[in-house]
Amino acid sequence: MKKYTLWIAGGLGALLLLLVPLYFKSTFVLHIYTLTFFYIGLTAAWNIMAYGGNLSLGHASFFAIGAYVGALLYVKLGISPWIGLTGAVAASFVGGMILSMPLIRLRGPFFTLATIAFTEVLRLIAIDWRDLTHGSAGLNIPFDLGWLNLTFKSGAPFYYIALALAVGSVWLSRWVRYSALGYHLRAAASDDQAAEALGVDFNLVQITALLISATLTAVLGLFYAFYSYVLEPATLFSFELFSLQPALNAIIGGMGTVWGPVIGAVFMTPLGEFLRFYLGTIQQGLNYVVYGIILIMTVRFFPGGILSLLTPLGVRFKRWIGDTGDNQ
Amino acid sequence: MLNLKGIDCFYGDFQVLRDLSLKVEAGQIVALLGPNAAGKSSTLAAISGALPYTKGEINFCEKPIKGIKPEKVVDLGIALVPEGRKLFQTLTVRENLELGAYSRHAREKRGKTLQQVYELFPVLKDRSSQTAGSLSGGEQQMCAIGRGLMAQPRLLMIDEMSLGLSPILAKQMFTMVQEIAAIGITIFLVEQQVHHTMRVADYTYIIEKGHITMSGPTKEIAANEHVKKTYLGM
Amino acid sequence: MDFYIQVLISGLLLGGIYALISIGLNLIFGVVRILNFAHGELVMLAMYGTFWLYKLYDLDPYLSLVVVLPAMFLFGVVLQRFILQPVLTTSGVMKMFTTVGISILMQNLALILWKGDFRAVQTFYSMSTIKFSGLIISIPRLVAFGAALLSIILLYLFLKYTYVGKALRAIVEDHATARLMGITVERHYLLAFGLGALFSALGGTLMMPFSSVYPTIGGPFTALAFVIVVLGGLGSMGGTFLAGLFIGVIEAFAGTFVSPGLKEAIYFVIFLLVLMVRPQGLFGMGRGTEEIGLK
Repeated sequence: MKKYTLWIAGGLGALLLLLVPLYFKSTFVLHIYTLTFFYIGLTAAWNIMAYGGNLSLGHASFFAIGAYVGALLYVKLGISPWIGLTGAVAASFVGGMILSMPLIRLRGPFFTLATIAFTEVLRLIAIDWRDLTHGSAGLNIPFDLGWLNLTFKSGAPFYYIALALAVGSVWLSRWVRYSALGYHLRAAASDDQAAEALGVDFNLVQITALLISATLTAVLGLFYAFYSYVLEPATLFSFELFSLQPALNAIIGGMGTVWGPVIGAVFMTPLGEFLRFYLGTIQQGLNYVVYGIILIMTVRFFPGGILSLLTPLGVRFKRWIGDTGDNQ
Repeated sequence: MLNLKGIDCFYGDFQVLRDLSLKVEAGQIVALLGPNAAGKSSTLAAISGALPYTKGEINFCEKPIKGIKPEKVVDLGIALVPEGRKLFQTLTVRENLELGAYSRHAREKRGKTLQQVYELFPVLKDRSSQTAGSLSGGEQQMCAIGRGLMAQPRLLMIDEMSLGLSPILAKQMFTMVQEIAAIGITIFLVEQQVHHTMRVADYTYIIEKGHITMSGPTKEIAANEHVKKTYLGM
Repeated sequence: MDFYIQVLISGLLLGGIYALISIGLNLIFGVVRILNFAHGELVMLAMYGTFWLYKLYDLDPYLSLVVVLPAMFLFGVVLQRFILQPVLTTSGVMKMFTTVGISILMQNLALILWKGDFRAVQTFYSMSTIKFSGLIISIPRLVAFGAALLSIILLYLFLKYTYVGKALRAIVEDHATARLMGITVERHYLLAFGLGALFSALGGTLMMPFSSVYPTIGGPFTALAFVIVVLGGLGSMGGTFLAGLFIGVIEAFAGTFVSPGLKEAIYFVIFLLVLMVRPQGLFGMGRGTEEIGLK
């Protein structure tokens, strides 16, 4: 496989993705695509922390911070979500700074527990602060068409927005991975004494990754809020939907790699929606039973994720191409 | 008694033991000497089953012991006193000693063995209800050796016994080792402390970079020019 | 004044059960080095067990312990042997993810099998109280506290004086060296997980006379147990007991004086503060906790 064939294949894929809304008029199909893009973004954002070996189960907090800040600025003060983005980024930055305090002292499972506790505190505050959030009942974003309001008649604009966000997130996560920050993160993950001796500040590196991951997640949360119209704590702060799911996607796809999260999200999102619509309607909870089994099985049988299964295949594929070229 | 033949052993990509062979004859004190990171502890780990090796075999009393788990190697009669004592700090001295006799053959007789260990190290009896963490360095080493003896081993392997001990204490410990050998327990000493070791060992191996570079009765080794220069500082 | 004492007592009584559940978690963490995210689900399962034994066979909740405790011990052993043992060599977080999977699985299986309804047992003593110089004390809560205290003392004696107990403490401290002694570490893991499940089950069953069970009840218990264990110090049984009482009292006062919606937030804030300020816990340090991410 020459490099340009890869580029052509990628270009064709991108073109096909751009054409999808023109071909599929079904809102359900568009919804699945859009949701998948959101999850690609979320998983890529989550994964930036995983480069440094820190696995969060609390990204719902940043997602909800972005969603609430963007939506509340719009609903209460009439500020366009495009301007509200700065507020969402700032708020999630502050949230990230708070969470970086336990990060300095904790690694591994205890940090993961801290992320859960952090999210729970915010969730409970969101439920309790009825004047602002309308409590568990939630609040709706008024339907007022226009680009400035991020409110559209069809699903197509949000399809493109989510696609752009997904591409942007993956690009950012790729950039982080191959930057100096990425190398330092991996050194920190493997507790590389040599790197620390050379003066790499592992705490600073980890906090930087946390802040990038948090703000990116908040941006995605803001757009998701306008996509879904409804803001309720039970959804936005959902452990299953926005804390566990990105982690699960990344683990299943291949944690700590650039493309693993993409593969995981592309595989898991349609599967999750399918399970929710088919199994969930037959029997409430059945979809999560499948999730639980998938999680246990992945950790046990292929902890490297789908990507680790594909890589040997890819190598064999290349060798196979090479071999046929030599023989014939 | 113990026979290592052509052991190759890796730690990740790094080869820690290369074609290592050595023998420990019953009733002797055998020493393995070498500089830091020469593969001494790895040799012990391989024998005790904690470190898998890719090539070669280890026989104990004419029987292969490859692949036997550490907790089962003790049952065979091989006890390891690990480097740095590794006592259970929050447990009492007595509890530490009792746990040394966990293996099947030693457990029933542990009351009797305990008395023997107390005779050998009277200070442990005085300290029996203190936590191991509160002992002095020398006492800790005695407790660790006592714990090894509780397993009723035929072969007692001691890793870096003199580490962190004052010269006088170290000298006493080596004398203790001779006493233990006199009971009829074969001893495999792994050391950096060359002078004392050579005083008590019957047979000596020198290990460098994971390979045995020299071996022979201790007197011969001590007379060797290279050893004199590098290890004895003469 | 009486009112405060009343709140304090109900907090202490509640805290005893919390301590019982948390000690199970601490035992599993200390010995097996797994942060068991499915701990609350063990409590949930035991509560359902008690409920169904009552519903189907008219078995008194206290009598049901005879069935529930051995069954939950066995359940813990099976969980450890067949689901956790195979992933023991992976990283701490991956082990925890496996228990997250178990938690989701158990919660939703409960939902499928037993629906989302609140289920409760009604015994003749459920509402009975004793009055003592102006204070009202619920009898089943008092019984639960007494049983919790007794079993924690029994566990302490077991760990302190039996040979197996000493071996467990040795493993808590250093499992590699314990192995050198010939201690069959994996078998002790089974025992520890079984005991951990048994203690959570005891807590769950003792609560049944005065509370109800539903599939998602486990989550808060898991959270609570983590808060208590971290507060009390990993590996410290005495610390866990004190922290359990402390959190029980905090909950009782918070339930009275703070908005009920924020009651739970208080634990998590305490949890985060302890992790940030003194991760070794208020009552001492479990050794070897560095390897699992405390420094």
